[in-house]
Amino acid sequence: MTKEAKRIDVHHVTRVEGHGNILVNIEGGKIKDCRFDVIETPRFFEAMLRGRPYQEASHITSRICGICSTGHTTASLRASEKALGVELSEQTVLLRKLVFHGEILDSHVLHVYMLVAPDFLGVGSVIPLATTHRDVVLRALRMKKLAGDICAVVAGRHTHPIAMTVGGFTHFPTAAELKDLQEQLVACRADADATVDLCAALPWPKFERDTEYVSLTKPDEYAFIDGEIMTSDGFKLPAENYKEVTNEYLVQHSSAKLTRNKRESLMVGALARFNNNYNQLHPRAKEAARKLGLKPKVTNPYLNTAAQVVEIVHCVEDAINVIDQLLKRGIKFEQPAPVDLGKIGSDGCTGVGACEVPRGILIHQYWIGQDGKLTGANCIIPTNQNIGNLEADMQALVPQIMNKPVDAMRLDLEMLVRAYDPCISCSVHVMKVEKKPVP
Amino acid sequence: MTRERTLILGIGNPLMGDDGAGIEAVRRLAASKLPGHVTVREAGTPGWGLVEWIQDWPSVVIVDAVQMGLQPGEWQRFDAGEVRLIAGEGTLSLHEPDLAGGLALAQALDLLPERITFYGIEPKSTDPGMRLSPAVNAGLPGLVEGILNEFAQ
Repeated sequence: MTKEAKRIDVHHVTRVEGHGNILVNIEGGKIKDCRFDVIETPRFFEAMLRGRPYQEASHITSRICGICSTGHTTASLRASEKALGVELSEQTVLLRKLVFHGEILDSHVLHVYMLVAPDFLGVGSVIPLATTHRDVVLRALRMKKLAGDICAVVAGRHTHPIAMTVGGFTHFPTAAELKDLQEQLVACRADADATVDLCAALPWPKFERDTEYVSLTKPDEYAFIDGEIMTSDGFKLPAENYKEVTNEYLVQHSSAKLTRNKRESLMVGALARFNNNYNQLHPRAKEAARKLGLKPKVTNPYLNTAAQVVEIVHCVEDAINVIDQLLKRGIKFEQPAPVDLGKIGSDGCTGVGACEVPRGILIHQYWIGQDGKLTGANCIIPTNQNIGNLEADMQALVPQIMNKPVDAMRLDLEMLVRAYDPCISCSVHVMKVEKKPVP
Repeated sequence: MTRERTLILGIGNPLMGDDGAGIEAVRRLAASKLPGHVTVREAGTPGWGLVEWIQDWPSVVIVDAVQMGLQPGEWQRFDAGEVRLIAGEGTLSLHEPDLAGGLALAQALDLLPERITFYGIEPKSTDPGMRLSPAVNAGLPGLVEGILNEFAQ
């Protein structure tokens, strides 16, 4: 055991979304500090929503994130729709599924290729990757463009959907547009397969730590929109009871609220969905999992990225299926399902919207008054739910790697943070690492 | 004057004050008379997607707010060869890169158009807000005219 003092202070972690610092201090062979600090400024979206008409809520909360704006929009619409008792048409459900797949693909491709792959391929970012692995980067851009085009065709824009509204859509894709997307998705199968092959060959770090995996689940499909909350420890409960699982709490070193359920921490995201809902994956996605060596329950958090690759295959296939159904039914112009504010009692009403966005369960709960304005809102973001688990992983990992040189330790820890695909918020900072000599 | 197919691309975020100057400039250009081989588009903040915007054009004109050390509202035309694309490793940590990052990616992929021309206008403030500063507003007509002159019949 080394007695050398080591300090790893990554401030901030690059190739993740936002401000997060890794701090590890080892003195005399003992771990003094091992933390992941979130130092993001609170953004007060919940307060901003109070007093706004329910029709605006999805457009405001979409801005919480430029990567999962469709996810926030969908969770927001579902919260209002549940509160107001709005029933959706089959066409609306299908179109929402399709645009949601577009966003999952977009985000997963970004994470796998632009943020994670450079670590494995020995480069600092995607730019040198473009020189050394041109075909890999071109493939990523091709897949990302298709994903963005799905969002634009269905919801009117690549980011921050404009055509999604409470009760339905305000714009509809044409059959020709859908057919074109479907042809591109079929062609994208080759790119998805190549993504699986690329990732199956990567040397994923070996590290196991079982935790409580939490995701939505549905009886009839791999859940992305709506469903019950289930955990790998055997609990299942309605999304409305989310607070029993999320149990937000505060710690001094983080501006994000952390969550825990029955254990010290829990994990949400692609790996949790894979572990909980594996049986509902498309057969081609299951085949991808086999190639990647994934079989539930997977307890290596680094493989969250590999689970995203499985979901890329699933979403390509399911998007093809959804377009089939839409084309078979024929796209119809529909007014959004009507809202009757007269039904709201003097106490107002409340509803919970739950979705599986790329990084895990996203909950929006709204309280709406008789005038249709929000009197309260609660938004629970996946990254918050994962931070406690990420720290627990770091604390389990550091003793296993503390004999490595500081640079190698730092890379292991950064890759662990990136595996969670945290989305903290936008910023750019330089990283700093010190190796202190023994006094 | 060149007659090759040319894309004039406005870059920037109109929600961030003068960062939206490039967008406002191409909106004015789109409402002006330009020859048929010239196409005007708003790209917003395209990030990695910049490659998709520019790769199939022999000539691209990029209009953007650029910090050049000039007075706010002053503008300048320069060719790709005249400037260094500043996209250091340290700045590439975002989910999406800035213009320099997007161009650097296009360059690394060997997908840069043969000719890239920049029209940069010096911003005064890029704080949140949907208004351009008076200085940039005053500089815009000259910038737009400069671009129109480049394509005058």
